[in-house]
Amino acid sequence: MAKTKQEKLDAKAEKKYYRYHKKKTRITFGDIAFNVFDYGFFGLFTILCFFPFYFLFINTISNNDLVQKGQITFFPKGLNIDNYIAMLHVSDLGNAFLVSIARTILGTAVMVLATAFVGYLVTKKEMWGRKFWYRFLVITMYFNAGTIPWFLNMSMLGLTNNFLAYIIPGIVAPYNIILVKTYIESIPGELEESALIDGAGFFTVWRKIIFPLSKPILATIAIFGAVGHWNSFTDSLILMQSAPEFFTLQHRLYIYLNTSSNLAQVMSTGGSSASNAAASMMNQKVLKYTISMVTVIPILIVYPFMNRYFEKGIMLGAVKG
Amino acid sequence: MKFKALSGGERGEGFLWISRVAVFLSVFLLFFPQASPTRITSLIGKNVSLFTSAVSYTSLTSEMGRALSKGWLSYFSVICLYVGAIIMLLGIISSVVAACTSLGNLKLKRLGAPFGLGGSIGVSAGLALIFIAYLQVSETSRPEKVEPMFPAGYFVYLVLGFLMLVSAVAIMIILPKAEKEEKYYMEPKYKLFLMFLPFAMLCFVFAYLPLYGWRYAFFDYSAGGTLSAENFVGFKWFTMLFENDATKADIVRVLRNTLVMSGLGIATSWLPMAFAIFLNEIKVGWFKRIVQTFTTIPNFISWVLVYAIALAIFSTDGFINTAFGGNTNYLMGNSFIWLKMLAWGTWKGIGWSAIIYIAGISGIDQQLYEAATVDGAGRFQKMWHVTVPGLLPTYFVMLLMSVANVLSNGMDQYFVFQNAQNTSTIQVLDLYVYTLGITKGNIPLSTVIGMVKSVVSVVLLFGANGISKAIRGESIV
Repeated sequence: MAKTKQEKLDAKAEKKYYRYHKKKTRITFGDIAFNVFDYGFFGLFTILCFFPFYFLFINTISNNDLVQKGQITFFPKGLNIDNYIAMLHVSDLGNAFLVSIARTILGTAVMVLATAFVGYLVTKKEMWGRKFWYRFLVITMYFNAGTIPWFLNMSMLGLTNNFLAYIIPGIVAPYNIILVKTYIESIPGELEESALIDGAGFFTVWRKIIFPLSKPILATIAIFGAVGHWNSFTDSLILMQSAPEFFTLQHRLYIYLNTSSNLAQVMSTGGSSASNAAASMMNQKVLKYTISMVTVIPILIVYPFMNRYFEKGIMLGAVKG
Repeated sequence: MKFKALSGGERGEGFLWISRVAVFLSVFLLFFPQASPTRITSLIGKNVSLFTSAVSYTSLTSEMGRALSKGWLSYFSVICLYVGAIIMLLGIISSVVAACTSLGNLKLKRLGAPFGLGGSIGVSAGLALIFIAYLQVSETSRPEKVEPMFPAGYFVYLVLGFLMLVSAVAIMIILPKAEKEEKYYMEPKYKLFLMFLPFAMLCFVFAYLPLYGWRYAFFDYSAGGTLSAENFVGFKWFTMLFENDATKADIVRVLRNTLVMSGLGIATSWLPMAFAIFLNEIKVGWFKRIVQTFTTIPNFISWVLVYAIALAIFSTDGFINTAFGGNTNYLMGNSFIWLKMLAWGTWKGIGWSAIIYIAGISGIDQQLYEAATVDGAGRFQKMWHVTVPGLLPTYFVMLLMSVANVLSNGMDQYFVFQNAQNTSTIQVLDLYVYTLGITKGNIPLSTVIGMVKSVVSVVLLFGANGISKAIRGESIV
């Protein structure tokens, strides 16, 4: 069968395309140079991001004397985990760890529940004054009164030197509410309508239908909230001035980084004689490194599992409505 | 049913409105120290509102220690005051419940009416207790130390309590009995609103109420002092920014630091985009994934940890000195602080900021690349003529946002890296406000600076938004 004119033209175009393609696949000097540079740069930068954590880690599991002499640079020597065990005896560190864990879990849970609920409420067109109230929430993202009025306000509310100061102010998070609202609006409305017609109340609809359906977005904001809580430092610094028992782990770490006590002094109260002996071997440098590791390990552990949510989160942020 | 619900409640509607307004005002004024009925002596801080008095015994009594131990004040009267405040708070909460149910049908209104009555009785009882406490305090042996006073807020709450009591009683009497078969009902719009109300309250208390603290900018206030007509200074602190030489020098220095560091940030804001474009040129999947994973980690650690890492690497006994020999503490000293801070910021943030561009690249139409290939474009030409234009809109938004945030670089980073030698170059506006207000206790001046900063930031944000609207036809806020 003879080829039609069109088919001939197509074949010609295809040939032309492959000719260019071939040209492209031919490796030029510029390509090699670029690849070397590109891979080299990213390889180096990755090491730059990874090495500090590795360096801290090998110093905490090596022989403390060698660490003190600065002989641990690339590989650990004299492996042991005594330093981490000694950490258990530093009472204010354990306390700070508990405070950080408590605020992370409690604060995140409360924030996510509230955000899920408010996010649902502001999608309801029937609500009295919905537009006004939604703006009332959203506007707060764009201004703040400043550190000092905020601090005075917190102290007026009795939230200084009070653990609740970590939890309550974070309950209403406007940015997260926007994300959840946008997400809920993308859920088909029929599900909810049929439930409402069947006589379910708004709260039941939220609990049984909307909440389960919005789990993906809730997971994302939960992770961001949790990281924020874990890393939070200034609120502890400003609000807990006379309540050291509520210092967060980050705050404790900051204090340790800026003091020059060794662990024996830190542990002067309590601790067995055996642990005191271990502690006296532990110098200031190791102490700092170990506390840093204790603070960063929870993040490093959850990070691989959370990675995909992180990326989803930033994309959601980009399309906020 | 809806119609019936309205007509049934109409008889008490006037009183319902009185009680709603009174309840709203009493809740609103809970948080304003000036309207607090509990300040019966000058030993109670000027910053103590009725709410504070009821929730925090320690704040209520923070300045009374000496008076209590010397017997100028009896414990009984303080407890009386505290319990009075608590009963008032509970009464107000109970009245709030009543006010909420008053939005429903007759049956709901009847359900709430006893709460209203109980609540207003509670408020009255609380006021009575506070009055007893006042009577006792006024008989103190050392009036010049205790300075008994009758707070203006007491009259305010007296009026509100009276209105609440009268309207609650009237509602109890006037409202007809609901019919037996009537069910509790409230219109959806009010139901939804009431569910939302607690969150609106939280938002008000934590985001709007601090604005009231701006009043400190107009007074000569030191911690624990008072705000009154005598120390009202008008715009003294504002003019001080321009007239007092020491302050002016400070402000100029801090502004310079802030603007330079923000400026460096803006000047390098294209780096994440370049990062994404070059990362996209890496065709080995596992390598790309590893790079992305590890370069994002620093974004998720706190600045304190970044500082810990900086110490481990750059301090006298850190990695650099032990591995390569030397005895320099790279963290002390005042040289290249701005660039160092930029470097740390970039190290922490670039991998994360690049994600949005990486996603942007995968959103670019593949046909554009194919067309470019057909037209004979090489690798770099495609990067420059297809990828970059595809990412520019995103970049533009990011750029505008960073321009709007030019005064807010946060304080965490600079706070942790600050030391005796570099303070003068590292101190940015946020850090300066913290140091001035919290550490040095100069509350009015730091409030003024915070105020000016907030206003300028909002103006910048809306300016940036206007530019965005004009150029792209889309808003960024």
